[in-house]
This record gives sequence, structure tokens and C-alpha cells, in this order.
Amino acid sequence: MDKPELTGGYIFDIQGFSVHDGPGCRTLIFLKGCPLRCLWCSNPEGIRPYPEPLYNESKCLFDLFCLDACQFNAITLEGENELRRLEFEREKCSKCSTYDCEKACLTRALAKGGSFITVGSLYSKIRHDRQYWGDKGGITLTGGEPFAQPEFTLALLKTCFEALIHTAVETCGDVPWISIERSLPWLEWIFFDLKHMDETAHKKLTASSNRLILENARRIADSFNGRLIFRLPLVPGLNDSEENIRSTADFILSTGRDELNILPVHHLGREKYLLSGFTYKLPGFEMTSRDKLLEARNRFSELGLRCYLGSETPF
Amino acid sequence: MDNFSESINYYGHKPEEQVEDREKKLRPTERANNARELYFSAKSSISMEFPYWYTRRWEELEGDVTIIRRAESLKAGFEHLTPVIYPGELLTMGKACYLRGSYPMPWLSEAFFMAAEDKLYKEALESGKLTADTFTTVGKGGGNVTKSVGNVISIAGKFGLRVEEMPVMLEVAKKWKDRSVDDIGHKYEQLVPGYKEKEAIMRSVICMFDSGYTLPQGREVINYYYPLQYGIDGIISICEEGMNEVAGYPEMDRLYFYKSVIIMLQGIRSWIRNYAAEARFMASIEQDEKQKSEYLEMGLRLDHISSNPPRDFHDALQLLWIFHVGVLNEDAISGLSPGRVGQVLYPFWKRDMDKGFMDREKTIELLECMRIKFTEIDCFASMGVVGGVLSGNTFNNLCIGGLKKDGTSAANELEMLILETGISCETPQPTLSVLYDEKSPEEFLLKGIECTKAGAGYPAWVNNQVAMEFLLNNYGHEGMQLEEARAWAIGGCLESSPGSWMPLNLDGEIHWIPGGSAPATSVGVHFLSLPKILETVIFDGMDMRSGERIFPSHGYKLETFEELWQGFQDYFSRAVHVLTLTNNIQHDAWRKISPSLVNSMLKPDCLEVGRDIGQQGSRFNTTFNVESCGNTTLVNSLASLKKNVYEEKNFSLEAYRKAILENFGYHTAQETGSYSLVDQKPAEHYSEYRKIHRMSLDAPKFGNDDPYVDSIFKLWEDWFCEMTHNYRSLYDQPMYACQISVSTHGPMGAVTLATPDGRLSGTTFSDGSVSAYPGTDKHGPYALFSSATCWNHSQSQNSQLNMKIHPSVVKGREGSRKFLELIRAYMRKGGFHVQFNIVDSRMLKQAQEDPDKFRSLLVRVAGFTQYWVELGKQIQDEVIARTEYEEL
Repeated sequence: MDKPELTGGYIFDIQGFSVHDGPGCRTLIFLKGCPLRCLWCSNPEGIRPYPEPLYNESKCLFDLFCLDACQFNAITLEGENELRRLEFEREKCSKCSTYDCEKACLTRALAKGGSFITVGSLYSKIRHDRQYWGDKGGITLTGGEPFAQPEFTLALLKTCFEALIHTAVETCGDVPWISIERSLPWLEWIFFDLKHMDETAHKKLTASSNRLILENARRIADSFNGRLIFRLPLVPGLNDSEENIRSTADFILSTGRDELNILPVHHLGREKYLLSGFTYKLPGFEMTSRDKLLEARNRFSELGLRCYLGSETPF
Repeated sequence: MDNFSESINYYGHKPEEQVEDREKKLRPTERANNARELYFSAKSSISMEFPYWYTRRWEELEGDVTIIRRAESLKAGFEHLTPVIYPGELLTMGKACYLRGSYPMPWLSEAFFMAAEDKLYKEALESGKLTADTFTTVGKGGGNVTKSVGNVISIAGKFGLRVEEMPVMLEVAKKWKDRSVDDIGHKYEQLVPGYKEKEAIMRSVICMFDSGYTLPQGREVINYYYPLQYGIDGIISICEEGMNEVAGYPEMDRLYFYKSVIIMLQGIRSWIRNYAAEARFMASIEQDEKQKSEYLEMGLRLDHISSNPPRDFHDALQLLWIFHVGVLNEDAISGLSPGRVGQVLYPFWKRDMDKGFMDREKTIELLECMRIKFTEIDCFASMGVVGGVLSGNTFNNLCIGGLKKDGTSAANELEMLILETGISCETPQPTLSVLYDEKSPEEFLLKGIECTKAGAGYPAWVNNQVAMEFLLNNYGHEGMQLEEARAWAIGGCLESSPGSWMPLNLDGEIHWIPGGSAPATSVGVHFLSLPKILETVIFDGMDMRSGERIFPSHGYKLETFEELWQGFQDYFSRAVHVLTLTNNIQHDAWRKISPSLVNSMLKPDCLEVGRDIGQQGSRFNTTFNVESCGNTTLVNSLASLKKNVYEEKNFSLEAYRKAILENFGYHTAQETGSYSLVDQKPAEHYSEYRKIHRMSLDAPKFGNDDPYVDSIFKLWEDWFCEMTHNYRSLYDQPMYACQISVSTHGPMGAVTLATPDGRLSGTTFSDGSVSAYPGTDKHGPYALFSSATCWNHSQSQNSQLNMKIHPSVVKGREGSRKFLELIRAYMRKGGFHVQFNIVDSRMLKQAQEDPDKFRSLLVRVAGFTQYWVELGKQIQDEVIARTEYEEL
């Protein structure tokens, strides 16, 4: 990493004035690519590691200008009448740098999800936001999974840290330890997700084992000097059993840390599944109820954790 | 633009299915709640009492000195106002005998109610004077009388008039034909070379309206000092001394001024005493003992202050209110701001608190009653003014915070309670503005946040230092120094207005209280439609909507961006030039025919020098300005042309002309019935224009921290703010820039064809002056702030930034602190003003469908707060479309 400013990566958004993901007012940077496939994922457009077309069918006029414009023949019209929709060969799109389809679209039914950016030009954007954060604010890397692009994340964190910017990251932890370890010196704050303690259940919910995740959690707890807050997205009926609550609490306490932030699961991201060509698999669209959340918090508190609901984390 | 941002620009954070309610809930006191319920059931009503007696007296005194005639007429008006006191009132008196009463002032303009008579209306229309009215809709619900019902006639779609008063109205109006400020001004403004061009400018709605006869006063801060210090009899003594000094000596005008003030004050004194008598009468027939004693106490209070200075806080508040209404009754006025009332009343309040005569609960009750009283104010002006500019709002801006005379923070405990009652008793008036200063105490600012979060739309956050810098720059030559600059406040919607410190002597101790010391601002060139001017530049001087030539050919081929910009500067300057001259003539007619007496008497130093404000009796007089509308739409359009025509040469200017005329292949807003871009529908031939439309939409947009377009914004600002100084007001002072759109961006947008930024024909312009166009600021508030502050705001009387924030973003304790961080950051960047709608857009849509359920829903619109149901549909559509920064 001789020239961190030239290190590049894929992001899909930058969001200023974020108030729930770390101390103070913050700028969030959303990195593309995630090893997990959580059923309730609210940012499906962040799952694939490369830029992709986001297609909003309800705005499509089916004038097919985008088909003509595409140089890779990646777009096809499927179905007829009411059922017609455009399909995209997203592998081809990943190689595209011009996105002529987006430019050809009159109604903005098509948009480019994600773009390549160097740490240098990303930093110059972040720098503009500094004056708005106040005393405690900074940046939070999220996504997707920031450590899925380890070189980029490392270079970005180091650049910001050295510029005296407060740095935080939100991670699912399912990455090789080395990807996390190298970034730790440049980090002040970590939100670490624990979706389920049981390996089989975890696989069912996220299509991935939790073994590496738990191992990484222990290692961070051991070697990280900053604040580590675990996060549990509470999905009714899937990970809110007494057993899982107890084993989550046991696990956290066994790492020597004691802070947990419970997030209510919502289904507001479901409309975005269509945009990125995924299917929303979670049955029912019920939000985690306030009662369930309070119940879980009380239970965790009894078990000895400092437990915060939603945006109530004291920063 | 479309609502693209809504579908993908937030992350897993679509708003909840259930509409999120506002966080802070406080109830008004029972007394205030009853009064507010009464207000909700009241309709805007016209009473002819005041104008009848005014006109009758005026006729009787034909041939007398004008200012004396004026004083006698006002006196007759005040004396004959029927007193009406409502049960439970702690503060009483109002503009007219109805709860939401007001009346036309035919001495300013009679054309409006003559409109009932077809012929006259047509004449007026032909002369271009009423064009704005045709394109304005006033909100359907609420207290507006939108349709004639039974024996009540709807006037201007807003006011109700009893049928039997109709003949009186017409008869009184006829007396003023060819004699009103409007008619006299109109007669002489035609002497201005280039007057025809002015008429064309008004017909095309490049300019919204003439201020001289529509709203000659307002957009200023009142000064309550003299009545509070001297009482009515005391002021009369001052005038008598003045008369003795000047009677028979040269400069005789002073004699008539002093005499007029005395006559006018006698009228006000009778008016107060009529109310005192009514209070005693009400007591005599009241069964309830508590109410009976309240009436008796009210009678005693009114009797006392009809002559003497106030004894206590309650007296002071009542007297202040009387003079506020007194000023409103002499002219059609919008934006007569009470100013820094919390600091004016503080000495009285503190003394009562120390003596134990007053407590927190009683204070809150009184302050809530004050809120209701200010909300009852209605302003009768023409439809174009009431709906198109004001949205029914009267802009009584109450300022809190700022600095004292000695430069320390001025925020006090009474102002904390003013904020508290702003939460507990949500009403549109008085709207609140925090004068933010780095010296303001944290707890005061956090109280302001609490009030902002309550979601009534106030307080707005205004930068104390930026305003002081502006005032020193523009009033320095009149002798304003730093100390006096600190006495400023917002006049009206958002006009920085000069103030002075007055020595209030209470029990031998001097308290320096702030108050306004200049006449009306925003009386210059009233709202210039920047996008419409650009349209005429592109079409070489033609208004293509009507096919009429507005300006002579500019003679440029428009082959470079510089030529285009030069063409814009040329036409803009032409418009400012001719409008300044005609406007000066109208205001000259106003000051000659209808000189201000109540307001003049209050403003320092009129009583000292013996001149009214029209004769520059007040301390500062550099108040005329040039107002812009549609800044961001103009700048986005320039950026689009620069990129697509001049730099990348994607299209010729001819292609743009065609696209503009064909509305980029879309149906017009008039066809779709919505003025919001979101609802516009493509027509059959859209495909011809899809490319140019798309590339216009894709051109850089203001509000994204993009130097390409921000540099054009700065180019505009630096030029505009400077060029205004080249024009001279009636008082031979340089003018300055004023940048608030109020509600004009709706009706002005309605008559403007599609613009090169991709905005479609007839749709609303960008609001405020540094707000992004709805839906085009895609990088959040930080980027918007950076764009907004790409120029120095103290060059202008104001700038305006409107933001809509979802309640969830600023929830809870953390939310409050972070919200303050956000505002503080903008202020530190030199932003002049920011205000927030803390509201869920779906709640607004529900309210649009079911107005009755949302009778009390308040929203913030372009500089003021108003009941949602009383807003015009254009503005409703626009508020909904404004970018919402939300996350869970």
C-alpha cells in the first residue's frame, strides 16, 4: 500500500447527516459486496461486489431504448403484456463502464447501482463533510460488508484516522481474520453483527456458517482497543428464542465485552429486491414489535449485558 | 424531476407503514384551548365599519391639510369600531368586530372590490394590474370563505361579507375612484419613460405586484417603546410640546404632524375606552363570578392604559397588542413583526416575578392568549397578494435570542417560556425565529430544538452575525454602529430589519430594550421571476406564452455562455430600472395621500423630529429592496445550457427553444391539474424530446456540492447583490437584494414555460433562495449546506433554506443534540437561515385528501408557518415533493 490514495473500491452510496451509526453526526459510506445472504437484508443492492443496474419496473415505459443502447446485449425483454419485464445479465454489466442504458432511459427506471472510486477522491468528498459533524462525529463504513474489500477499507480508514477523523465500521464479521486485523489500528469503533448462535440456524438465515464470525468476534474483543458494540437484528420467530438470547449473552460476556444493540427488523428494503433482481424470501412483513424488543432487552439486561434498543445506543 | 430518490436513495429505510407522529406533546391551557377552538370555528370576515367612517370623515374634511384629514379619518374609524369581548379572554381587542375580522382599505386601492362590477374589473385586467390573481388559488379549507353561502358573499375566495354590507362596500369604493393611492400612483407612474415596458412586465408576471398600494407597510419590526414608557397621555404631551416649539415657525410640516398624532391618539383612546365600557357591561350581565371579576378587571386595566403607562406585565402585553392592531388598522400590512417581544417585556415581567405578582403558570396562560390574538390577524389585500404571496399568512415574526446592547447574550427566561408556549399552543402566529449567535446559551438553543422538533414549523434559525454584518454594510452610511446593529430583528417573513435600543425607565432603572427603527422593507421591486426573464432572453425579448414582446431585442446571437449571461443581465437590469421608478412613484402617492400616523408615532425618531416615516422621520431609511424568485431554477437552467449547448454541444439553442415550446413532449401542468413535477405525464410526441429532456435533467443541479453549478450560483449572487446598489429608492438611498420567494414560486412558475433544467411548463419553481429544486439534491444535507454557502450571505438582506426532515431522524435526546449540531454547522458556515418541516410526507398526502381531519396540522412553507388546509394546492404539492431526509 504505497499510495493509499490510489487504492480503489466499489461503493454504492455516501450519506451525510447519519445520526444512528456512531457518536455525533456522521457520514456513512456504503461499500459493495457481502458474503452473507440474510433473509431480511435491507440493502440488497449492496450484496453483489460489482456495479449493477437497478431496475424499477413500475417506472418502465417499455420503449426498449435501453436494449438498443446496451453494447453488451445484456438486457432482454421477458414475458408478455402484464407480465413483461426486463432481465439483465448482471455479469456482463459488471464489465460495463459507460452505462448507456441508464442514459437512454427517459423515466429513470434504470439506474447504475454502485461505482468505482479511489480513496483519494472519496477522501476529498468526506473532507467537505467534516465541518458539519460537530465535535464527536466522523465516518462509518457500512454496506455490504466493508471488510469484503480489505485493501480499500484499510487505505480509507488509515487516511481518515491520520487526518484525525473518528472512524467506525459496521461488519458482519464473515471475512478472513487478516482482512479485519490489518484495519484495527485505524479504527475507533466497531459494530459487530451476531445473527444467530446456532450454526445450523445461522446457515438457514444467512446462507453461511457462523464459525468464522464468532472466531473473529473473539479476536476483535481481545485485541481491539476501541469500543466494540455487538448488534442483533431481532427477527421474530427466527432468532428471538430464549435459547438464542441466552447463548448470545453468554457468548458476548465470554469475550469480556458487555454491550449489545438490538435492532428491530423491518421489511422496508423489500422493494429494492426487485431493483437488483433478487426475491424477498422472508415470509410476512411484520416489524419487530416494541413489546418484543423490550422483552428481549429486559432479558439481556437480566443476563448482565448493557443492552440498547434501536437508536438508543449512548454514544 | 421525478421521485427517483425515493426509490433507491435511502438504505433499507423506507418510512414505516404507520405515519410517524411528532414527538413532543404538550397541551395548551384550558383557556387558550377554548380560544383556539373558537378561532377554528371562525371564518375570515369583512366588516365595513372602519372604512365607512373613515371615508365619511375624509369627505367631510375636503380641503383640509391631508395629514390632518388622514388623522381625523383614522380617529373616526377607531371610535366607531364595535367592541366585542369573548368570554375567557385575558387580552382583548382586534382589527374589527369579528373574531377573524378585517376590512378593505379603499383609500389604498378600490379596484379590487369594484371587481364586482364587471366593467371595472375588465379595465383593471387590461391594464395588467390584476393578472397575478388569475393564476393563484387559495387553500380550500379552514377559515377561508371560498364560496358564497346564504347571505354571506365570498370575496376573493377568502373573505366573507354580509350581503347587506355589499352596497356599503361599493358605495364607499366609488368615493375613492381616481383618488386612491392605486389610482393616483397609476396616473403618474405612466410618466416614467418606458412605462409600456413595465405594463408588459406585469402582464407576463415577470414581476408579481406593485407594493405601493397593495401592502405599503410591513416587512418591518414595530417599536412599542413610546406607549410602554409614556402611555397615551404622555405621548400627547410630547406632541403638544412639539407643537408649541414649531407653531408659526418655518418647517411648519412638523406642526401638522404633531397635531395629527394627537388626533389619531384620541381615536385610539376612545377605542380602548369603548372596550372598557363593554367589559363593564359584560360584567353586569355575567352570572359566573369568576368571569364577572375578570371582566371587571379587564375594564379597569383598559381604563388605566387608555391614558397611562402600564403598571405591570399584563398591562404592558395588552397595551402592546393594542398598538400592534392600531398599526394594522391604518394600512394593508403584512409582516408587521413584534420583534424581540421577550426582551421588550422582560423588565415588566421580571419585576412582577420578583414581587410575586406573576408566576410561571400565569405567564404561560398570557403568552398562549397572545399567540391566539396574533393568529386572529387577517389581512385584506388583493387575491394575488393574499394567496400568491402570503398564502393567507400575516408574518408576525417574533424573534428570540441575539445579543444585548453591551454585546452579551440577550436570551432570557421569558423567551424560554415563549418557546414553551410555541410548543403547547401551536398556532401559525406569531411565528418564531431564533437569532442564533455563538454566545447563545446551550440550554436556550436546545429549547429551540425542542420547539422545532414539535413540528409546528417554528422556530426558524437565523444567523445573528450575518445579519449584523449586512446591516452595518447597508446602514453604516446612515450612522449605524455595531452597538445599534445588535438591536436588529426579522421584519415579516425573513427581512433583516434595523432596530435601535430605547431606554425604558422602570422605577428609576434604565433597561435598554430593542425595537424597530426603520419603515417597511420589501417595498421596492416586488419579486422578479428569474426563470421567466431567462425565457425572454432565450426568445429574444418575447413572452412565448402570450406571444407578446416584453423587451426590445437584445441583439445577441447567444453563441457563447457569456453572451447568454450578458443577455440575462441586460433584461434583468431593464426590469429593475423601470420597476424601481414606477414603484417610487407609487410609494410617493402613498406617502402623500395616506401618510402613516400610528406606525410613524411609534418609530424612533419621528416624534423627536416631527416627521412621519414617509418624510424620513425614522432613524434608518435604506429599506427598499429588489426581490428575486426562482434562484435555483435559474441557476440550474444556466448550468444545463452551459453544459449541453455551449460546452459539450449536445444540442443547439434552437433545439432548446423547440423543446421549451413543446414542453419537452409533456402535457402541461394545467392539463394534469397538479403543479408538482412528480405528477406530470408525457404526451404522444415525448420520444422526440426524451434525449434533450433527460440530458437537461442530468445536467449538474444546485444543492449537491458540485462546483460546476455552484460557481454559476455564486456568479449570479455576486452580480445581483452588487447591481441592486445602483438603483435609488424614493428616499434617495441605494437598494439591496432580498431573496425570499414566500409563495410566489407557485404562481410565477404557473406562467413560465419549461426551463432548460428540465422543469416542465407551469410547474412550481424552486422555493426559498438557496433550497435545492425538489428531488434534485441527492447527496443529503451536508452537500446542500456546502452549495448553499458557496457565496457570502451577508451581501443580501437574507437567504432562505427550507428542509423537510422526517421525525425519526431527530428522535430522542441524541436526536436533539445532533439536530443542534446540524444547525450549528450551517450557521458556522455562514448560512443565514434554515427552517424545517418535521413531518412525514404521507401525513401531508392524507391531509390533502381529508382536510377536515387535519385542521390543526401546521407546516412550514417558504418562510412561515401555516395551517396545511389553508395553503393553495400548488404549494401543498410542492411541500410534499420536497426532499425528505429520513432514516430509521
